[in-house]
Amino acid sequence: MEYLRPQNLKNALHLMKQWKKKATLIAGGTNVIPDLRARAVRPEVLIDISHLKSLAYIKEDKRKIHIGALTTVSELASSKIIEKWAPLLSHAANQLGNPLVRNRATIAGNLADGSPAADTAVPLLALEAIVVIQGGKEKQVPIHQFFVGPNQTVLKRDEMIKEVIIPKFNPNAKTAYFKLGLRNSMAVSVVSIAVLMEMEKTFCKKARIGYGAVAPKPIRAYRVEEMLENKELTERLLRACCETIGKEISPISDIRASKEYRTEMASVLLKRVMKRVTQ
Amino acid sequence: MDDQQYHAIGKTSIRKDGIAKVTGQEIYTTDVVLPRMLHARVLRSPFPHATIKTIDTREAEKLGAICITPRDVPDLRYAERIVTIPSKTFKDRQVLTNTPRHVGEAIAAVAAETEDLAEQALSLVRVEYERLPAVFDPFEAMKEGSPLLHRTILFGQDEIQVKNNIAASREIVEGDIEKGFKEAEIIFEETFETGRVYHAQMEPKSVVCQPEADGGITVWTTTQTIHNVRQLLGEIFKIPLSRVNVKKVALGGSFGSSIQMNSVVPIGVALALKARRPVKLVSSREEDMHDHCKYPSWIQLKLGGKRDGTFVAGHMKVIIDIGAHNTQAYPLLGCMAGWWVSLYKLPHLKFEGQAVYTNKVPACAMQGFGNPQVTFAVESMMDMMAEKLEIDPIDLRLKNYVGLGETFWGQGPTVKSIIRSCGVEEMLRKGAELVGWKDKFKREKTEGVIRRGIGMARGFHTSGAGAPMAGEVIDYSGSIVKINEDGSVDFLTALMDLGGGTLDALAKIVAEELKVPLDKVGISPVDTRTTVYDVCTHATRGIYCGGGALHKVTGQAKTKLLEFASRILQVPPHSLKMEVDEEAGQGMVYVDGVQGRRISVGEVAKTAQINDWGTIAAVDSLRQVSCPPCFMAYFIEVEVNMETGVIKPTKALAYADVGQVVNPDLARGQLFGGLYRGLGYALLEDTQYDEESGELTSGGWITDFKMLTANDLPEMDNIEVHFTDTYEPTGPFGAKGIGEAALNPVAAALANAVYNAIGVRFTEIPITPEKVLKKINDHCKINSEKLTVKN
Ligand SMILES: Cc1cc2nc3c(=O)[nH]c(=O)nc-3n(C[C@H](O)[C@H](O)[C@H](O)COP(=O)(O)OP(=O)(O)OC[C@H]3O[C@@H](n4cnc5c(N)ncnc54)[C@H](O)[C@@H]3O)c2cc1C
Repeated sequence: MEYLRPQNLKNALHLMKQWKKKATLIAGGTNVIPDLRARAVRPEVLIDISHLKSLAYIKEDKRKIHIGALTTVSELASSKIIEKWAPLLSHAANQLGNPLVRNRATIAGNLADGSPAADTAVPLLALEAIVVIQGGKEKQVPIHQFFVGPNQTVLKRDEMIKEVIIPKFNPNAKTAYFKLGLRNSMAVSVVSIAVLMEMEKTFCKKARIGYGAVAPKPIRAYRVEEMLENKELTERLLRACCETIGKEISPISDIRASKEYRTEMASVLLKRVMKRVTQ
Repeated sequence: MDDQQYHAIGKTSIRKDGIAKVTGQEIYTTDVVLPRMLHARVLRSPFPHATIKTIDTREAEKLGAICITPRDVPDLRYAERIVTIPSKTFKDRQVLTNTPRHVGEAIAAVAAETEDLAEQALSLVRVEYERLPAVFDPFEAMKEGSPLLHRTILFGQDEIQVKNNIAASREIVEGDIEKGFKEAEIIFEETFETGRVYHAQMEPKSVVCQPEADGGITVWTTTQTIHNVRQLLGEIFKIPLSRVNVKKVALGGSFGSSIQMNSVVPIGVALALKARRPVKLVSSREEDMHDHCKYPSWIQLKLGGKRDGTFVAGHMKVIIDIGAHNTQAYPLLGCMAGWWVSLYKLPHLKFEGQAVYTNKVPACAMQGFGNPQVTFAVESMMDMMAEKLEIDPIDLRLKNYVGLGETFWGQGPTVKSIIRSCGVEEMLRKGAELVGWKDKFKREKTEGVIRRGIGMARGFHTSGAGAPMAGEVIDYSGSIVKINEDGSVDFLTALMDLGGGTLDALAKIVAEELKVPLDKVGISPVDTRTTVYDVCTHATRGIYCGGGALHKVTGQAKTKLLEFASRILQVPPHSLKMEVDEEAGQGMVYVDGVQGRRISVGEVAKTAQINDWGTIAAVDSLRQVSCPPCFMAYFIEVEVNMETGVIKPTKALAYADVGQVVNPDLARGQLFGGLYRGLGYALLEDTQYDEESGELTSGGWITDFKMLTANDLPEMDNIEVHFTDTYEPTGPFGAKGIGEAALNPVAAALANAVYNAIGVRFTEIPITPEKVLKKINDHCKINSEKLTVKN
């Protein structure tokens, strides 16, 4: 296996185009290195971009936050901008892996890996983030269209994530995030949830709900969102939502949890976040 | 105990190996690098049961690799663990096998210039397997017609037939249980099940072997016993022990997993002998997880008692799924009987245990050696009985426990001694007071989502396997002590420090006995050539047995020292006293009340040298004739989330009777460690198998063998540790052991706390959230919270 270390983004893209399927891009390496060890990937070349620090930034303009692809999860977790404008992402970043992993793991790596349990994807879904992809030319993909299936995204072999854009949310909106794992650190989510709700007293104007580990990819709970939006929130409605969610998701049984447990927890976590945002 | 002032025993100090360890200078097996050393990799069976039709290594050899297959290794069956006496040892192992019996069993091995090249060579070895039917469940395995793993095995020298995959069985009877149960007014019966935990010791099993010009070998390896490794290698490779040398290197933890000679050791040796070059073989974590695990157990327990809470009879039936090889199941069963009968007095009892082969990773000793399993069952049942009898669980325990003056089984029915120190009453009464037991245990039950509970359990472990009579298990230690010409002291022992600081404790024993400052005592690097025999660091015997032997030998050196001092000071030796002079950095010998009759240990030794009197040194062995139990109690508080099934331990109090505490910080560390591993045992740790492939569902990946993290424990401020005020008259400076005791009662304390919180009894560990939820859904009523909407 060959190891390549391009000097800039352009160079990296060039190499990707050149090697296509034979290459694997590596950023923090917290997915790639274990995959190499398990022989889940067997590339001929590794293209290392971890040193391209110009792609590590968190910036804000009037309406949006821009997060560079190589921003690490610990940078997300400690950023004042994120805390203010995307607290959901702060919470998720704080609970991802452990300090060692967070120091290396990048936001783009988390998204590009395409795990159904990807922890940054879930808040980004609720925040309606946009993934900026650079290939031949630049394109912007809404995050809910970015994931295709287990470890599959819309990314092509010669494309990479350059940036993630988060529209600044209405500061009056309420948000809540929960992650359930088999332990409190170093745990892949059994179920995770992020919600953002814009409320006027008890009236719900807008609801965005992201879920992790309950479907082949990180998902939005559209049916539940629809049940909530432009409705007076009553206990009855909230209970109905907790029932509906079981039908909207399609979890699997794996080494961490059974399908049944995940289904039940999807509902329990929905109840928890609803409690959080409505009080 | 007398009121003497210790300067080393019981004092906090910096570990002697601490600086080397934290700065990365300590040498572990993996750090050993030799000139012209080759690197080895092992070919392991992908099938749980198969025979090998052909192995073709030609392509690998073309790469320059040295290859070994079952044809190239000595054709004999051996037992990896030789702590047990030869006549009671079962043997079913081979260095490499033609009949792999679990996924991951070694079939062939290669050595090459680099690890990469060895990997490449390994991938070129062609093996033709014939798959055989496999069995994974011990109850299935015992059925007539189930696939048989071993047709015959060796028991001592005799070849014996294996029936229904039963590797070993034991029946132990005292009194008459039929009569006993007839006398009982109340009878309890329950089955308990415990998990198949992976040791997850920090350092994976490894070996470096150097073939010597005289036909001998030098070996560095991960082990708890350098002498047993030496003896076994001598036996397998037919090399005189005088030419087999096993070097002592630091061990990166073990939890019991290196009580035996590790399976990689003879493979590394066979490769080195064939290559005539040094060979290094380091297991990957995945290989290590396919090498060993804790004994999982099914324990059927029946207890009969009187209405006043006195026990009259007990019957315990145990099934152990040992996996593909019998590492030490026979002594295990004996020990389990012993742990059980030594917890509470039972006039009539019967123990029946069976160890069963299955096509899984072989189980071996792990912290507690059957004791955590037994204690989980017994201590859970104690709470069940206490509730039924309407007695406080602590009172029920105090009424029946085996204590001072009573007989204790330290290592099965052949290792018994009388208890001479016991802090049980103190730990139960004071512990209860400290946690506010009375109020919390009877606390009003809530119906909310989060429910709180408190539970306790007690237990113990043996300190070593000593007894007046020789038993089924060998137990003695030996040391060499040498007083240097400047008053510093060297001691040499084969006793291994598994990471807990055992040798630091031993240094304190030497310092205290000779009254020299601790920093003047050196722990010598040793090997099997420079030490006398020590059986093994297991059975919580390090300080009590290893330290006991060293104490004796230090005493002999001291006698010689005082003899020389008496010549110099011209007084009889028995008029001499010793004290430490920290400022001078010396031990001092003096005559009480006589001015000017005072000399340092260094001056004595130097004078002895100048006058040609000789070195002040001693060597000897000691078998302890007792195996005092170190007692332990835990009080644990939990929160159970009724919606997710998550159990959160919120507070813990550990109370230990270790006799005299030798090393306060490290003793506390053992208790934290025991609590940590015990909570993992109770809540999370387990290995499971895919029945189709026979492979671990984790595939051996440590990321999928979940253990708790620091974040899953109670906050440090909420963990309290206490030691009873006890003194063991047979121990060095009153000390007993601690290591395994620290784990044994944790799972039961946790299960009892969960019961206290939600009224549901868990008899199977680990108690995972899914299991909790399932039982909650069947048994509990939860007032669902209101989902009110506030402005
Ligand atoms: C111990 C441990 C614990 C973990 N815990 C969690 C957890 O709790 N939650 C969680 O979600 N994840 C967890 N992970 C997974 C992992 O840490 C995250 O997915 C991380 O964000 C990956 O980022 P990385 O930079 O390390 O990616 P890498 O491993 O470098 O790459 C991951 C994938 O993304 C691709 N890639 C990287 N950068 C780009 C880019 N700019 N454009 C396109 N493709 C790119 C790579 O080619 C590869 O396919 C854990 C991993 C470990 C080892």
